[in-house]
Amino acid sequence: MKFFIDDLPVLFPYPRIYPEQYAYMSDIKKTLDVGGNAILEMPSGTGKTVSLLSLTVAYQMHYPEHRKIVYCSRTMSEIEKALIELKGLMEYRTRELGYVEDFRGLGLTSRKNLCLNPSVNKERKGTVVDEKCRRMTNGLAKKRIQEDGATDVELCEYHENLYELEPDNLVPPGVYSFERLTEYCKDKKTCPYFTIRRMIPFCNIIIYSYHYLLDPKISERVSQELSKDAIVIFDEAHNIDNVCIESLSLDLTNDMLKKASRGATSLNRRIDDVKKTDAKKLQDEYDKLVQGLSAQEIINNDEDAMETPVLSSDLLKEAVPGNIRRAEHFVAFLKRFIEYLKTKMKVLSVTSETPTMFLQKLKELTFIERKPLRFCAERFSLLVRTLEIQDIEEYAALKDITKFATLVSTYEQGFQLILEPYETENATVPNPILRFTCLDASIAIKPIFEKFSSVIITSGTISPLDMYPRMLDFETVIQESYTMTLAKKSFLPMIITKGSDQVAISSRFEIRNDPSIVRNYGSMLIEFAKITPDGLVVFFPSYLYMESIISMWQSMHILDEVWKYKLILVETPDAQETALALETYRTACSNGRGAVLLSVARGKVSEGIDFDHQYGRTVLMIGIPFQYTESRILKARLEFLRDHYQIRENDFLSFDAMRHAAQCLGRVLRGKDDYGIMVLADRRFARKKNQLPKWIAQGLSDADVNLSTDMAIANAKQFLRTMAQPQNPKDQEGVSIWDINQLQAFQLEQQHHQLAEIDGDGDVPMLTHEEELELAELNDL
Amino acid sequence: MDDSDEYISDVEAIQVKRRSTRKSQVKSDLKGANGGYSWEDEYQRSWDIVKEDEAGSLAGIVSGLIESKKKRIIKNVTPFQRGIIRNLILVIDMSSSMLEKDLRPNRHALTITNVIQFITEFFDQNPISQLGIIVMRNGIAQLVSQVSGNPQDHIDALKSIKKLEPKGDPSLQNALEMSRGLLLHVASHCTREVLVVFGSLLTIDPGNIHKTVKSLVEEKVRVKIIGLSAQVSICKEICKKTNFNDESSYKVILNEHHFKDLLTEAVVPLPVNKINKSFTLVKMGFPSRVSQDTPSFCSCHSKLTYGGYVCPNCKSKVCSLPTICPCCNMMLILSTHLARSYHHLIPLKNFEEVPVADEYDSTQCFACQSEFPDFIANKTTSSRYRCVDCNQHFCIDCDVFIHEMMHNCPGCENI
Ligand code: SF4
Ligand SMILES: [Zn+2]
Ligand SMILES: [Zn+2]
Ligand SMILES: [Zn+2]
Ligand SMILES: [Zn+2]
Repeated sequence: MKFFIDDLPVLFPYPRIYPEQYAYMSDIKKTLDVGGNAILEMPSGTGKTVSLLSLTVAYQMHYPEHRKIVYCSRTMSEIEKALIELKGLMEYRTRELGYVEDFRGLGLTSRKNLCLNPSVNKERKGTVVDEKCRRMTNGLAKKRIQEDGATDVELCEYHENLYELEPDNLVPPGVYSFERLTEYCKDKKTCPYFTIRRMIPFCNIIIYSYHYLLDPKISERVSQELSKDAIVIFDEAHNIDNVCIESLSLDLTNDMLKKASRGATSLNRRIDDVKKTDAKKLQDEYDKLVQGLSAQEIINNDEDAMETPVLSSDLLKEAVPGNIRRAEHFVAFLKRFIEYLKTKMKVLSVTSETPTMFLQKLKELTFIERKPLRFCAERFSLLVRTLEIQDIEEYAALKDITKFATLVSTYEQGFQLILEPYETENATVPNPILRFTCLDASIAIKPIFEKFSSVIITSGTISPLDMYPRMLDFETVIQESYTMTLAKKSFLPMIITKGSDQVAISSRFEIRNDPSIVRNYGSMLIEFAKITPDGLVVFFPSYLYMESIISMWQSMHILDEVWKYKLILVETPDAQETALALETYRTACSNGRGAVLLSVARGKVSEGIDFDHQYGRTVLMIGIPFQYTESRILKARLEFLRDHYQIRENDFLSFDAMRHAAQCLGRVLRGKDDYGIMVLADRRFARKKNQLPKWIAQGLSDADVNLSTDMAIANAKQFLRTMAQPQNPKDQEGVSIWDINQLQAFQLEQQHHQLAEIDGDGDVPMLTHEEELELAELNDL
Repeated sequence: MDDSDEYISDVEAIQVKRRSTRKSQVKSDLKGANGGYSWEDEYQRSWDIVKEDEAGSLAGIVSGLIESKKKRIIKNVTPFQRGIIRNLILVIDMSSSMLEKDLRPNRHALTITNVIQFITEFFDQNPISQLGIIVMRNGIAQLVSQVSGNPQDHIDALKSIKKLEPKGDPSLQNALEMSRGLLLHVASHCTREVLVVFGSLLTIDPGNIHKTVKSLVEEKVRVKIIGLSAQVSICKEICKKTNFNDESSYKVILNEHHFKDLLTEAVVPLPVNKINKSFTLVKMGFPSRVSQDTPSFCSCHSKLTYGGYVCPNCKSKVCSLPTICPCCNMMLILSTHLARSYHHLIPLKNFEEVPVADEYDSTQCFACQSEFPDFIANKTTSSRYRCVDCNQHFCIDCDVFIHEMMHNCPGCENI
């Protein structure tokens, strides 16, 4: 359908629209008009993506600025889904407009997912694919082949074929899902990855993962060319602060240090070899460095720009300092640094220090200065290229050390170094980890807010909205949480606070192993397994708690009882095992056997897996998924948030727990034709209702916030019966879904409201007789 | 489905009503008066809320009740070719979940009671059809009553399993495979149907149930499932696939009353699908009844009997009709059976309610001759129902009786 938002014609690829979609689109338009940022919470399964795309594309095509759209999502499958939606939208636009618009929409993912070269794409590790590809695509190799016919290097023909094409038309206009693009490229024997990379400047819309914008290691290479007025969208952004932090954090272990030492030694050997055979190479590099060229400039002719771990604004545009210009000096320097780290790891007590303190001690003991440290990452990349190192795997650990060196010497504020000698509380054998952790999420995202005029942050669960602007340190023009309009209440949120025996249940640390509580949780699981058809998903706050409660259930014969009704599958930290469990789970859900999936609130399952329809009829959240508060990183972060952003520890912890809980609950409801039961089982949830996303809280009636298991079961049974009744699609009409007439009527009504407000003195604006009739008629629908 | 049962039409009415109230109210007012959902409240409202009208009489309300009863039988009267010779396998869940007491006295007992009633109605409406009964118990499927056209055999079998305690898990696959076997040699002009009463939420199968579903589709077996607690995806899939992508043959009950309605719905033959609409001629025999002084062996049970029906084709004797002659495989029926099945082919048109007026041109029911009550005072209903063909007026009882039992209008017959 086609409608107007103010002066903007919007083509929406469905004949009907949900009221919340319209509100959402109007708010996005407002944001784009005034320029600025927005945080929008849109219930899951209400067609968020298609609304986002329809509006931004309409905006782009209508106004002369033709602002580019940058759409960031989390996973490859989400990106692919968005691309498919976009394709549908563009096809619809073509049909409506009667001509094909000049439009190009592409998605970007890693080489590993896209590579077509058979000698490369068999590799399982992403970094290896990257490195192998780099070797076959860098300019140097090509030059050598052309100049002296070298035979030891190989070029990727898929990449070479791209040179045959016009550089601004590597792929004809249109929208390409990954599947379609790979098909196209296979046909043309070109490289899909580089096609996308090089076409980014010529795209109307680019869809990729957060990392391409947030992670300094890649954003520099990929997203540099985006113009200021681009519309930046972060979808599924409820965890954006963690992504920001992770992109600037790093962990070091003894194992890594050992590998790094070994790497350094073999690097030395390489240098000796090269000196014997091709000394000129190293001399060249040295000469260039002496001339004051930065590593960046030296590699610039290369396909890939520098890979630096720090943000571009913090990158030093200076020459590499003298003491690490010579290759062997640099390696010796690294060795010294690694040795220092090794001694540091021997300390058997927990230490926590700021980067400044760390550097000071380092200087006292080893005379290593801050400045050369800052250049480590750059210098290392340069050396690897000069030596034409083939097997980068061997040097992965060393590379991490150089990254660490650069990071620790670049940032003073908002970072912390924490050394944890023991893995767990009561371990006796030390297994130290040195964590370099970023505490301030705003650091990584700051350049984005600085560079782009409009950033839209959106998700299905991003409550409370005002937490994000505080944590990420930015201003918004609109913060909005939309409710879901439903003709039939399709989800049943409930808070269970006590067992059938009226004993309060809670995952509070002190009492969580109390047998009566564990038993109560167990009988709750049995009951829900009994009445839930097909899939039942259970979330625990942590692996640790899940393991302990499962073993207790085992001894109480609770699992045997559950087994009668459902298969039991468990998420483990091992990705492959979990994938297998998930597959079995899905099979059992569709062949009538039914299954329970026991998983963890912060695990893979809670974040990326959808449990739509039969795959999740009930989700049980056992306990509040608080972070492990004894974690030192968390403590440091809490302290930081308190001191710098005035966010109280408890507020943050509660916020963080509830966003994860909401995320888990949202897993079962993936559309308006879907239905599911959402259970929060902990006494403490009763007070946290207002921290849930508005659309969930709205469905949670006051009678349902303090239930015992048996009451909840009775509710659930009734709900399932009701939901099983055939739905008449007509019921939704006008209430939770509008056709064009109903939408226009709403717009008309809104205009009158505005007029009334402008009138100021409360005068009801006069309607013409026809208008009045029209309104009355539509209201009656 | 062409028959809208009361439940659905009620919900529709409510939702239309609600929509016309303020929209925002809908969001918050999903809860009904007594804690359940409002549509359930209203579903039962006609039985719950009995109020006296101004005149202190319950008559108005009572006639309202009758009205809603009448609504139940308003059928879709467009003539439709339907498969009138039905072969139905009734599958009853007897797994441990049938011990649940959410239906009174428990699921099992109520199911058996309802099914017995269903069998009576089924043979009443589909006299030349065949039926067999399977139970799912302890993981296996068990044939408890052979495929036959004799309702009494089935009812006896059901009565005997009523005493049996439900046990173990059900296996839909086993039950469906057995049904397949029983329906395999059914002639192409007959329907192949399975009706499952399913109380469990799971099925423990020996193999891949999806394969079974595929063969059911290939063999044109149509499965209908009545769920007793919640929607199970595999049931939905079975029904959808075996009914040409129509999901409506899978229904879940709301309460005891709805359970009965759903079973009643299953009495009406399925419309013959568009794909399979070739016409076939069926050979039938109309045997004559004999009574003998000396007993002779019947060909159906090999028992000595004093009488029965003699097949006009091969002269062998059978005990009851309708049946398939055990010797020559011809269908043996009475002409009255055929007449009773016939109404599915050309259903009797619904009677119209005579609009309320000050005067009517009739004082008595054309059929039973009882006087029409004097309702002019309260003006809610005329209590007269008119046949659109012969224009005669009937009382509500006769209307229901004519449509449910007779399938012929006495007025029209009289012309
Ligand atoms: S250029 Fe493309 S096809 Fe060739 S190795 Fe790299 S990613 Fe693979
Ligand atoms: Zn006999
Ligand atoms: Zn015969
Ligand atoms: Zn009568
Ligand atoms: Zn008549």
